[in-house]
Amino acid sequence: MIALPLIIGVVFLLVFISDKASTDRLDSLANEIKNVAIVDESGYVPARVIEAGGQQSRPASDLSELKQEVAEGKLNGLIHYPADLTESKNFEVFVNSTDLSRVQTVQSLADSLLQASLFAPLGSADVIALAQNGASSTLVTYENGKVSPGFNKYIVPGMFALAFYLILFFSIGYILTSISEEKENRSMEMALTYLRPRLLILGKLIGVILVTLTQLAFMGALIAIALLLLTQTDALTLQLPAGIDLAKLVFDPVAIFFGAGFLIAGFMLYAGLMAITAAALPARQANAFSSVFYIAGFAPFYMIQLILTDPTNPVTTFVTFFPLTSPIVSLVRNTVGNMGIAESSLALATMTAFMLLAVWLAVKIFPKGALEYQNALSFKSLFRS
Amino acid sequence: MNTVVSVTNFSLKLGDKQIVKELNFEVKKGEVFAFLGANGSGKTSTIRSLLNIYEPTNGELLINGKPYSADRATVVGYLPEERGLYTRISAIDNLIYFGEMKGLSRAEARVKGLAFLEEVGLGEKANLKLKKLSGGQQQKVQLGVAIMGDPDLLILDEPTKGLDPINRKLLLDIVDAHQKNGAAVIYVTHLMEEVERLADRLLILKDGEAKAYGTVAEVKKKLKVKTIEEAFVTIYDDTLEEK
Repeated sequence: MIALPLIIGVVFLLVFISDKASTDRLDSLANEIKNVAIVDESGYVPARVIEAGGQQSRPASDLSELKQEVAEGKLNGLIHYPADLTESKNFEVFVNSTDLSRVQTVQSLADSLLQASLFAPLGSADVIALAQNGASSTLVTYENGKVSPGFNKYIVPGMFALAFYLILFFSIGYILTSISEEKENRSMEMALTYLRPRLLILGKLIGVILVTLTQLAFMGALIAIALLLLTQTDALTLQLPAGIDLAKLVFDPVAIFFGAGFLIAGFMLYAGLMAITAAALPARQANAFSSVFYIAGFAPFYMIQLILTDPTNPVTTFVTFFPLTSPIVSLVRNTVGNMGIAESSLALATMTAFMLLAVWLAVKIFPKGALEYQNALSFKSLFRS
Repeated sequence: MNTVVSVTNFSLKLGDKQIVKELNFEVKKGEVFAFLGANGSGKTSTIRSLLNIYEPTNGELLINGKPYSADRATVVGYLPEERGLYTRISAIDNLIYFGEMKGLSRAEARVKGLAFLEEVGLGEKANLKLKKLSGGQQQKVQLGVAIMGDPDLLILDEPTKGLDPINRKLLLDIVDAHQKNGAAVIYVTHLMEEVERLADRLLILKDGEAKAYGTVAEVKKKLKVKTIEEAFVTIYDDTLEEK
């Protein structure tokens, strides 16, 4: 249950460590790289910039000889900026090594020299830094005549959408697995003798909810520990994009209510559909068929532009109410706030109705399908005793 | 009440197929009732309907005067033909799990479970995962689940299938003991010597219809045969001749 979030945490930790290690390595190499000749025929890289970088400027007439010296190891590298640099937009780099880090360092040196030379006429270092790196922006938006919280209002409802995806990928499959496994090992008949089917399915749903909450809590704990460690080491200065400020989050009760409603109804809807699939089909077919639900979870992102910008479009309305896409579309629209209370209420009511239908169907076909080990239930038999 | 099981005018249709037609029988307290029939004759479907897993198309199936429901799990012990317990947990945990489902406390289920495992020679394997036990050993554990809580009715569907003679005898002795304690036993088997040894009354099912019903002696007399095996063959003889 916690193995999966733990593995994800370890992978992220390894990625962070390797990134840091490779950055340190490159920094170290940059300090060591000397004995690189620069030939500038373009006229854009002045000698003073080259010498300021600790390298040597050489005339174009020496180009062939310099290439030979790199090949023989007398030079670590050679950078050649051709005369037609502005047309070709290409310069040459020669390195006396196949070590990727060393090659990358010399290439970075060539890029840096060119950029520094191009920005040098701007004069002050501050202006050069501004030209190279741009500047951050403070965003102020207005709504109904008042300053709006901007992206800060999307964070809290957005958490429900994120939670739905985590649940979809990490937990919904447990329903399928638990029913399929019980069918495979034939323990279903014993269980159905002593438990009502409704109780059995609800027990599985509650079990999956608890597993999901435990995984989410564990992931949250891992993230919190990681942030704490990173801030302690001074290695991280959090700069969130789009003016997001965690101190200015907006807790809109209406958005939270509908976010929670869509999350719960959506989860139960998908769980019911998974239970139906697992009960009605043999294990292998059920696994294959279940991919439909995962695809449906991602399909709305192919029309995300439309969903976000044109809420009254018939396609947007359709995917808001179609059962397989309704949870994620409603959660996304609730996040960005382009669903009014009336539409949100109707979407939630519709989703809940489909959810109840799915759970009812799951309970109805469960006893029949649970004892069909080899064959799929026919559609007719679902509704006959 | 002397009658534990009462089946009246029971019919079952699954899809387009008539599985059982107008079946009537009773099982009394303290008797072994042999429920016989070829594969596909409707035995398991009847049992599943008795246990409310299938909904009957017609008729009434009662246990102790009432339709069975999971709320009355203490009344029944069922050993299905399709064996199945949870193989990733230990033998004793399986017994405790199903014991609790049948209304026992955890402590009670543990005590009874361990006692049963000792009785069948699996005391030392109580904490082994079920998948590490042989098929026969798993079958014994499954019998333990069925008899947990001393139910009024035991339904045993081919309980000795796959067992060696020693373990068969052990199992039959256990069934005997429960019967002597007053449990009614519905016994499904293809081994006629078991029927001869254990059964008080029997029913032979063919194509969903009862073809023979009564005490062992009555059935033999009616069909003019000496053994139950002959009775079975006589009933199914038409089918053999057709083939």
